[in-house]
Amino acid sequence: MNALDAVEKRALGGSGPTTEAAGPWRSNRSWLTPVLFLVPGTFLFLLIIVVPIGQSLWISLHDWDGFEQPVWLGLDNYRELLGDPQFTTALRNNVIWLVLFMVAPPAGLAIALMLNQAIRGMRIAKSLFFIPLVLAPVTVGVVFTWFYDPTFGVLALVFQAFGATGPALLSDERLVTFAVVIAALWPQIAFCMVLFLAGLNNLSEDVLSAGRVDGARGWRLFWHVVLPQLRQVGFIAVVITVIGALRSFDMIAVMTQGGPFGSSSVLAYLMYEQAIFSYRFGYGAAIASVLFLIMAVFIAWYLRRMLRLEREAA
Amino acid sequence: MPGITRYTTMSRRGLLHTAGGLGLAAGALRGAPALAQSRAITVIADQSNAETRAIFAEIAAAYEADTGVSVTVNNMDHEAHKTAIRSYLAASPPDVCFWFSGNRMRAFVERGLFDDISDLFERENYYDVLGTSTETVSVGDRQFGLPLGGTLWGLFYRKDVFAEQGMTPPADWDGLLATCEQARGAGLTPMTLGTKELWPAAGWFDHLNLRINGLDRHMALMRGEMSYLDPSLQPVFDHWQDLIEREIFTPNHTSYSWQQAASFFVRKQSAMFVLGNFMTRAFPAEEKDQLAFVPFPRIGPETRRYEEFSVNSVHIPARAQNKDVAREFLAYFYRPENLGRFLRPDGNVPPRHDIPVPDDPMMRSLVEALRNADGTAQFYDRDTDPDMAQVGLRSFQEFMVAPDRRDTILERMEAARKRVFRA
Repeated sequence: MNALDAVEKRALGGSGPTTEAAGPWRSNRSWLTPVLFLVPGTFLFLLIIVVPIGQSLWISLHDWDGFEQPVWLGLDNYRELLGDPQFTTALRNNVIWLVLFMVAPPAGLAIALMLNQAIRGMRIAKSLFFIPLVLAPVTVGVVFTWFYDPTFGVLALVFQAFGATGPALLSDERLVTFAVVIAALWPQIAFCMVLFLAGLNNLSEDVLSAGRVDGARGWRLFWHVVLPQLRQVGFIAVVITVIGALRSFDMIAVMTQGGPFGSSSVLAYLMYEQAIFSYRFGYGAAIASVLFLIMAVFIAWYLRRMLRLEREAA
Repeated sequence: MPGITRYTTMSRRGLLHTAGGLGLAAGALRGAPALAQSRAITVIADQSNAETRAIFAEIAAAYEADTGVSVTVNNMDHEAHKTAIRSYLAASPPDVCFWFSGNRMRAFVERGLFDDISDLFERENYYDVLGTSTETVSVGDRQFGLPLGGTLWGLFYRKDVFAEQGMTPPADWDGLLATCEQARGAGLTPMTLGTKELWPAAGWFDHLNLRINGLDRHMALMRGEMSYLDPSLQPVFDHWQDLIEREIFTPNHTSYSWQQAASFFVRKQSAMFVLGNFMTRAFPAEEKDQLAFVPFPRIGPETRRYEEFSVNSVHIPARAQNKDVAREFLAYFYRPENLGRFLRPDGNVPPRHDIPVPDDPMMRSLVEALRNADGTAQFYDRDTDPDMAQVGLRSFQEFMVAPDRRDTILERMEAARKRVFRA
């Protein structure tokens, strides 16, 4: 029996309300409706997310060049990862990305607060701050590469104006990751700013007025009245920033290709490089699995938080 | 392997070409008799030179007009093609595709992805017109592709700069060191280098190793039969380190692609450049006659001269739909007049003896250097396994920045060699 049968029965119109109430559709509607609505989404989710994750984990247990029969390796790929200095470098760089990216939410909030003032011409300023968000990450990467160019770049020219030699940021194995992160932070801060601007628009006037009546001003008003109302938005900003830091790939591909000699690589880029250029799909999949594990920790934290917030609201 | 998603990356231009090509093919089908329906082939090309692309399109169009076979050419971005070919050869192969001869070709031959075209060699008698070039497309005694233009590597310099400073192109090691000193005295960076794309650094390794250890040992290393910790490699790195410590190379070379580095050379800020003859394309047309070429200097007692000569090639995938038509098309494309036209814009050395060598001084010195060579290697990332090449290229770049890490670097390369070649 399914929903169609029930509809058909009703269309035939033979039975009165009493039979209908006892019909299978009526009695099962409370759970059938959500199930029916969930089926297409669940199917797609399984097909394009869950199954590939399973496959990727499976491949990570093999030696596979993309053409021939995969050879079973067990955990050898993971064992090799532990001793691979390139993997350690990539992991360390991921941590640098993660830590530095945490600047984005507070910086975005600061800019949002600044732009939220009712001052003439603020709309223009706002739209200027939106710019990095409109640009494709690849464009941002190219622009910053030019900016950092040790001969013709703006940075080098500034240094030259003071009679100094500009640093070759993208050639220095100790500085290169920081240089790339700064480029990536530019659009990320703008993104957080947009989130906070939306949050500031939704502040409850009542609570604000009540705060003012009670004599809160400036910093105290912000800290005790405004900030608590931005908790939700702030949480989302942090989560998106964390995910953004972990899946960083495009900027590195455009700006350094992981170089010089792999010193600016991150897990996502290393995985791509191993699979596509070294023909090592198994090893690449093992790197992907490690990245997935790290992300899973944050996703679990996010889901727990969300569920708790929902329960609080209910 | 089932269940793995394969996708083909294609440049926007490639997509447009496909779309246009499909339209063209559909048009041809409508007008043509039923018999001719299967007489259509698809070609995937990776030409980055617009002029070459145009000439290839003309050749394809002329072939269409001659035979009624419709030819669809999808041209992809050169770098994107290097990754895409792996998926399309296995998933949806075209009838003809461009690639690189030597070990890069062998990797696909061993996996059964390129068709054996020895019959075409036999029929068209390519063995006679190609001579030793045949070896670049052979695995065992079978042929799996047709060699196209070859890129010769060596030392480039500007005649005007050398004349101004009274410098002479170096013929041996001491000459190289002396010319570098002279160039520095004239306020020039002695040697141009851009290693952002990694491989230009490997050119230095190859040349030094070919000069010091010779072709056989070099190829044994490429095939993974020799250890990277072998004592015979130490003099190679000693010489290299000597150059690095003399600071003859462009500073911050890891920040520059070879084209960016070439701009220093073109603008007379650096004196010499070790690269393949494709670098002539980075040189302004009106100054081309100032550019000159000599082979990489001799080192030590080794008298035989081995050069770096990379040969591109064209192939028929093993799982192509219309292998017979593809052979006919290749035979047409490979006619001396067509091939000669196709190769001219890139300035590469033609593989066929019966193609007249274009009459310009650069081409003459390339052909002469090649004729005097006792043997050729293709290039580090074409001669060795791709996985090994990935580790090697990066290691060479690191060595050029931090030569004091030589031992660590060599140990890492040796570990990679053991893994890749299961040695």
